[in-house]
Amino acid sequence: MKNAGHKNAGQLSRRQILSAAGFIGLATLTGCGSGDDGGDSKDLSKKQNGAMKEYRAGQQFKAAKPLSFSVLHNNNPVYPPKDSWLFWKELTQRTGITLKPVGVPLSDYEKKRSLLIGAGDAPFLIPKTYHPAEVAFVSSGAVLPVSDYVHLMPNFQDKVRKWKLEPELDSIRQSDGKYYLLPGLHEKVKSGYSLSFRTDVLDRLGLSLPTTWDEVYTVLKAIKAEYPDRYPFTDRWSTNTPYPAAALFSYLGQAFGVRAGWTYDNISWDDKAREFVFTGATDGFRQMLEYLRKLVDEKLMDPESFTQTDDDAVKKLLAEKAFVISANPQELVQNYRYNLEKQVKGARIEMIPVPLGPAGPVVLGGARLENGVMVSSKALKSDSFVAMMQFVDWLWYSDEGQRFAKWGVEGVTYTYADGRYKLKDGISLMGSAPDAPKDLQKDYGFFNGVFTYGGSWALVSSSFSPDEKKFQDVMAQRQELPIGPAHPLQSVEQEQATLWETPLRDHVTQNTLKFVLGKRPLSEWDAYVSELKAKNMDQLVGLHNKAYERYKKENG
Amino acid sequence: MVSILNTRPRTSVNQPTRGYRVFQGINGVILTGVVVVTLYPFVNIIARSFSGERQIRAGEVTLWPKGFNLTTYRIVFTDDTFWRGYGNTVLYTVVSTAVAMVLTTCYAYVLSKKHLKGRNVLVGIAVFTMFFSGGLIPHYVLITSLGLKNSVWAIALPNAISVFNLLVMKAFFESLPTELEEAAEIDGLSTYGILLRIVLPLSKAVVATMVLFYSVSFWNSWFQAFLYMDRADLMPVTVYLRNLIAGATGATDAGATTEQGSQVAANIQAVTIVLTSLPILCVYPFVQRYFVSGVMLGAVKG
Amino acid sequence: MSTSTTSAPPPGTQEPPPKTRHGPVRPPARRGWRRALRRDWQLYSLAVLPLLFFLVFRYLPMIGNVIAFRRFEPGGSILGEQWVGLRYVEMFLSDPTFWQVFRNTLWLGALTLVFCFPVPIVLALLLNEVRRTALKRFVQSVSYLPHFLSIVIVAGITLQMLATDGPVNHVLGWFGHDPVRFIQEPEWFRTIYVGSEIWQTAGWGTILYLAALTTIDEDLYEAARIDGANRWKQIWHVTLPGIRPTMITLLILNIGTFLAVGFEKILLLYNPLTYPTADVVSTYLYRAGVESNSFSYAAAIGLFEAVIGLVLITSANQLSRRTVGTSLW
Repeated sequence: MKNAGHKNAGQLSRRQILSAAGFIGLATLTGCGSGDDGGDSKDLSKKQNGAMKEYRAGQQFKAAKPLSFSVLHNNNPVYPPKDSWLFWKELTQRTGITLKPVGVPLSDYEKKRSLLIGAGDAPFLIPKTYHPAEVAFVSSGAVLPVSDYVHLMPNFQDKVRKWKLEPELDSIRQSDGKYYLLPGLHEKVKSGYSLSFRTDVLDRLGLSLPTTWDEVYTVLKAIKAEYPDRYPFTDRWSTNTPYPAAALFSYLGQAFGVRAGWTYDNISWDDKAREFVFTGATDGFRQMLEYLRKLVDEKLMDPESFTQTDDDAVKKLLAEKAFVISANPQELVQNYRYNLEKQVKGARIEMIPVPLGPAGPVVLGGARLENGVMVSSKALKSDSFVAMMQFVDWLWYSDEGQRFAKWGVEGVTYTYADGRYKLKDGISLMGSAPDAPKDLQKDYGFFNGVFTYGGSWALVSSSFSPDEKKFQDVMAQRQELPIGPAHPLQSVEQEQATLWETPLRDHVTQNTLKFVLGKRPLSEWDAYVSELKAKNMDQLVGLHNKAYERYKKENG
Repeated sequence: MVSILNTRPRTSVNQPTRGYRVFQGINGVILTGVVVVTLYPFVNIIARSFSGERQIRAGEVTLWPKGFNLTTYRIVFTDDTFWRGYGNTVLYTVVSTAVAMVLTTCYAYVLSKKHLKGRNVLVGIAVFTMFFSGGLIPHYVLITSLGLKNSVWAIALPNAISVFNLLVMKAFFESLPTELEEAAEIDGLSTYGILLRIVLPLSKAVVATMVLFYSVSFWNSWFQAFLYMDRADLMPVTVYLRNLIAGATGATDAGATTEQGSQVAANIQAVTIVLTSLPILCVYPFVQRYFVSGVMLGAVKG
Repeated sequence: MSTSTTSAPPPGTQEPPPKTRHGPVRPPARRGWRRALRRDWQLYSLAVLPLLFFLVFRYLPMIGNVIAFRRFEPGGSILGEQWVGLRYVEMFLSDPTFWQVFRNTLWLGALTLVFCFPVPIVLALLLNEVRRTALKRFVQSVSYLPHFLSIVIVAGITLQMLATDGPVNHVLGWFGHDPVRFIQEPEWFRTIYVGSEIWQTAGWGTILYLAALTTIDEDLYEAARIDGANRWKQIWHVTLPGIRPTMITLLILNIGTFLAVGFEKILLLYNPLTYPTADVVSTYLYRAGVESNSFSYAAAIGLFEAVIGLVLITSANQLSRRTVGTSLW
């Protein structure tokens, strides 16, 4: 328009923009409401509508009068929400609360959530939020600092105390010392991924399942000797994720005591030195790369592992071009085993507990928090705020609420005996009884990812398949690596850190692959570290250590 | 003589030279190559959509379904949401395309008049918006405060003019011979009359193209509906299928569980492509009539 | 391209613009407007609704771009919290990675323009020479198919073709070549991207040219034939000039939008090893999580790209007007 250089046009649009600005301003006011409410937010005496006077852990929550709260609902295509779900009805009956779901397709849940909050249009309860997604909304005050209100949540507090989750909670605190997300709480770490082996092949070669990474190497070597023209190990979870072989790096890194793959974070806590360090430049990281380089160099591992699609990787497994692949319990049963059995005669495949490495029998720390619930600041203005928090506490954090959300109603959807949950006849869960006419998720609305996660080990493990149970029981014995202390960045620091983080992370990932694939010799490690320095590695680490010192000083 | 030629354009008169015949041969080879290269993946996709999971995963499916299997189709077809979504999609596509055609045609016609004062400014207003746009949140607040949420207008109005289509259409209008319009103006036809009775009939090809472009883009779009529709029963079929794909292949992020039967996971994408592109491909031949070269304009003139 | 045109205005040397009505004439503004309104009020009335559309649905939300210069916090005011001036602009201007990905964007954009723009024209001309209508229709319909495939599928097909045991490597094998891991080699990425882009867009792109071909007056061919022009000459002197307005329009539009490279496709085709050539501005911002967290930063970069696009399209338009007499405005 400037280029067009017509005076008339310029004036016209300036006038338009002024009037338009007024319009948007109006829209903002009506849309978002005013940022800070007049009343004292700490004073909850006027927000007791429907709340229980005495509400304690382990007690059934029942609102003093019928109330309803809006909740963002992630519509899973596997069990699309129905108004007729027993879950809604029974919930209202037990608690007096009616949930009003705002449905959002699972495919783009985060996008709409961010839009709704951004436009001031969000429901009161915003579940399925993975830390650190809540951080973006902290500084504007769009979501509540829930840590200020956990005194309304006895079950939550009880579990945090019992399971010693304070350090984990500290890790999600913001620079004001508060946290803005009610995370799912786990009694024990639930591990996800590990290696799976074709056990029939191992048996034939007289090999046993490896328990350490050194043994993994030996086993692969032995398979290679038998099949010299194939790569014994191919891997997946390399596309649609910023990290190649994301699962492998996660659990391999864990064995070397570093965060890699999915769990990669530029910054990690060095417990011995009591300071934060740069993950991609640590010795553990280097050792991990050396190990993988050995596998690729000796043609034990398929170099395409790091770039191929999941389908291609699985195809190689099914075509017996490879015999080892990363797995999680679902993929193991529903994909590998299911398809192998149909395709390869006598094939058996099993997942092993994560092999041990130099770091010993450990799992990464901080994994006992799950995705959780954000509470919109608008909820605080509601006069039934207290009742809502009590309700949230009951449904998501009480034993009874968790059992209800997961298994449904005793005698109707399940029976419980000898510490085991059993679905009633005619009800299936994730294909457990293929001929059953009803499905616990689809037809009753239980086991819904929006409401069901976390909890005691007994409850969490109650739905494990035999394979998963074996795997998880071993993993649950392992010791958690210490997690870093709280060191929240201020929002301006955060902005700066974000801009340093990505180039650093990219450089680490890229060179991870170069080193592993032999495109760059590991003798160039020092050069690599100085490249990281040129990309502000030291400044980023400094920023975090400074934040740590500051937080220590301010919050003890 | 002219009229005879017009009905059978430029085949009979000159005897093609040898060079040209060689060219025809090469041309045939090239176009056959194009057909093979583009057709193969599509045939493969259709085959996959009817194939069994085992065969798909083993990479056996090429041109013909292997292990014939209709599970995914059955799951999709027996779902009420799918049919409601299809209905919504048809409604949104028809309304949006109609609105878009009216506005685009009007503006393109105005812009094609070179003598019009302020024309450059009018073009500038449109071109500027190709590069500068508001963010998502301002758009959302606007639609919400106009009260358009959960209605077809939230999809039709904000996308009524694609500047690309607008400029293409304008170029077409400009390339039309001006004599007819001038004659009509002398005959006393109003501007509206000229547009409706002279220009549009001469522009069937471009109108057909634009209808095709707009309807395909509305048909395939999901984001607007996803943003502005709050209820599952208002979603177009694209959102439904997108969600289905996400659910079936959702093991990508750590910890997500694949709760869906693996047959669906294996070919839901293929089924989706078949289901969404099929209707357009069925409609296409009717549109294509207007692209068959040559005769139309000459006939009008002759 | 842009530098040479903006400075030096060669006054109509080679091809004088045939339509000069809108050129240098500058009548007294007020009087001219009144007359124009009186004469063309019907035309102007047709523009009212479209203008309203642009005002409400395009220009009004643009006010939100002010957050490029204000600090925006998700959930706060949609117009940002406080002025920060050029802070965000400086942030990306001083980020070396930004310039690397920007260079990649230019490369990919330019290659796409150079290769993807002419292919549909050639294909349309080839199709136009097919004499059997049924065959022509068939080829046309088939060539549109890739347009309907989602990018996920296109990327999947591309990856399959290029896998070490895929067809391309098979062919290489016949010539005794060792398999190439194409998608792990940065130097191959641009070829792969442009190739798949051509495959996906060429057929659909012919629609516009085929429609333009229908507007060519049959008499012109007849006249050319009478003058003894053979087919090549007919194509050169009749067909090409006939579709020139469409070609120019599309060329200018493509030049203006050539920074908008296919984000989703790159995301699906690249990997850390190919970042040096494959990483573009949008994928970089995506990995940085900027769209979800730093709206202000993203808005600043968006404005920067918009300005470039606008400069490019204006220059291309000027150049085209001076040299061939056709232009968007």
